[in-house]
Amino acid sequence: MMQVMPEKRVNRQYMKTNSASPQDITPEHLAALLAEVAVQRSRRAFAELFKHFAPRLQSFATRQFGNEQTAMDLVQETMTNVWHKAHLFSPEKGSPTTWIFTIARNIRFDILRKSKKNQNDISAEELWPVLSEEMSDSDDEFAIDQTILLQEITSYYNQLPDAQREVIVSIYIEGKSQQEVSDELGIPLGTVKSRTRLALQKLRELITDHD
Amino acid sequence: MIKFHPNEELLVQYVQGNLDSALAVVVGTHIDMCQHCKAHARDIETHLSAKELGASTDFSELTMQAMLEDILNSAAPAISAPQQILDKVTVEGKQFRLPPALKRVSHRLGDWSKVPGSVWRAPLKVDDHSAVNLIYMGAGASVPEHTHRQHEATLVINGTFNDEHDRYHDGDFVFLGADHRHSPQTAEEDCLTLAWLDAPLQFTSGMARLLNPFSSLFFK
Ligand SMILES: [Zn+2]
Repeated sequence: MMQVMPEKRVNRQYMKTNSASPQDITPEHLAALLAEVAVQRSRRAFAELFKHFAPRLQSFATRQFGNEQTAMDLVQETMTNVWHKAHLFSPEKGSPTTWIFTIARNIRFDILRKSKKNQNDISAEELWPVLSEEMSDSDDEFAIDQTILLQEITSYYNQLPDAQREVIVSIYIEGKSQQEVSDELGIPLGTVKSRTRLALQKLRELITDHD
Repeated sequence: MIKFHPNEELLVQYVQGNLDSALAVVVGTHIDMCQHCKAHARDIETHLSAKELGASTDFSELTMQAMLEDILNSAAPAISAPQQILDKVTVEGKQFRLPPALKRVSHRLGDWSKVPGSVWRAPLKVDDHSAVNLIYMGAGASVPEHTHRQHEATLVINGTFNDEHDRYHDGDFVFLGADHRHSPQTAEEDCLTLAWLDAPLQFTSGMARLLNPFSSLFFK
C-alpha cells in the first residue's frame, strides 16, 4: 500500500511516478481507490490515482496530439471526470486502467471533433457511452444482477452495511427504481448506483462463500 | 448464428476512436448484436489500454500538484441534456426495435423516403462528410447492380437479403471493398439494414449522381 499523502512536508519521492513499487499497483488496489473516491469522496485516494494515471495519460496524449498544451488539457479533463464520476466505474466491465483509457479515448475524440468546428457532429458519448449516467447500465450488467436470486438476497442482506442494505431493500425487495430511491433518500443517483454495485459485489462474495 | 463480422482491424480502429464516425455507428451496432465481437472488442480494449497507458512521462512536481488542486476544486462537469430516444422505427407499417447503439443516435434519423424498387431509406446524420442510412427493402425488392469506388458496409438489423455471393441474416456485417460488384435483393422476407458508404463527395454533384441509380439510396 502507498502511504497517505503528507499534508505539509511533501517528500520529493512522493510525486515521482516510480515511487511506489509497481507490484503494489494492482487493478484491485486501483479499483479500491476508485470506490473510495466514489463513496467517500476521498481526496487522498484520488491523489494516489492521479499520481499513477496523470503521467501515463500525458504520455498517451503527447503521442496522439504532439502538442503539449492539448496533451495537458486531455490529462486534466480525463482526471476531472475520474474525480467526479468514479461511481460510474464498474469492475465487471473491465479494469480501472481500461475504464480511464476509454474516458481519455472519448475526450480525444471530442477534442478532434471540436477542432473541426461542427457542432452537430456525433459526440464520443453517443458512440461509446462511458460517462452517461443513464447509459452506464449496460444489458450485461443487468443480466449479472438478475442472476442474484431474490431469495439469496433476502438471506444475506442483513450482513450488509446499513447504507447499502437500505438501497438493496428498496430496489430488490420493494421493487423501486434507482431514481425513486435517490429521490426518497435525498442522495444523488450516482451514490445509489455505487452503493447498489458495492452491495451486489458483497452479496456475490457472501453467496459464493456459502456455495 | 451471425456469419459475417467486422475484421480485427476495424474493431481495433473502432476501440481506438479512429474509425470514420458513421462507420463506427455501424460497427457499434454490430457489437450490440454479436456476443462474439462484443467479447473481442473488450479484449482489444484491455490490451490497448495496457499498451497506451503503460508508459509514463516525467511530469514536473509543480505542474502535477497544481493540476491536482485544480481538479479537486473543480465543479462537476455538466451533464448534457439527454436526447430524444426512439426505441423502434416504423416503416411501411412494420416496426423494428433498435439496438442500443442505434437508439443513442436515433435523434439523428431523418424521414423515410421511397426509392425505386420497393426500397425505402432514412438518413442518419452523423456528421457532414459521412453517408449512413437505414435501408428497408420490402419482400421481393432489389437494389440495382452497382459498383463503387468506395468501401461499403452493410449490417442486417432484421430480416434477410442476398446477393450473388451469399445470404445475410440478422447481425451479419458485410464489408465490400472498392470496385466490388453486387446486386442486393430480398426474396419472400423483407429486410432492414444499416448501410454506410465511404467518401460520398464524388457522388453528391453532377452527372455521376444522376447516372448512378445506386446513389439515390444514399443521397437526395
Ligand atoms: Zn461479430
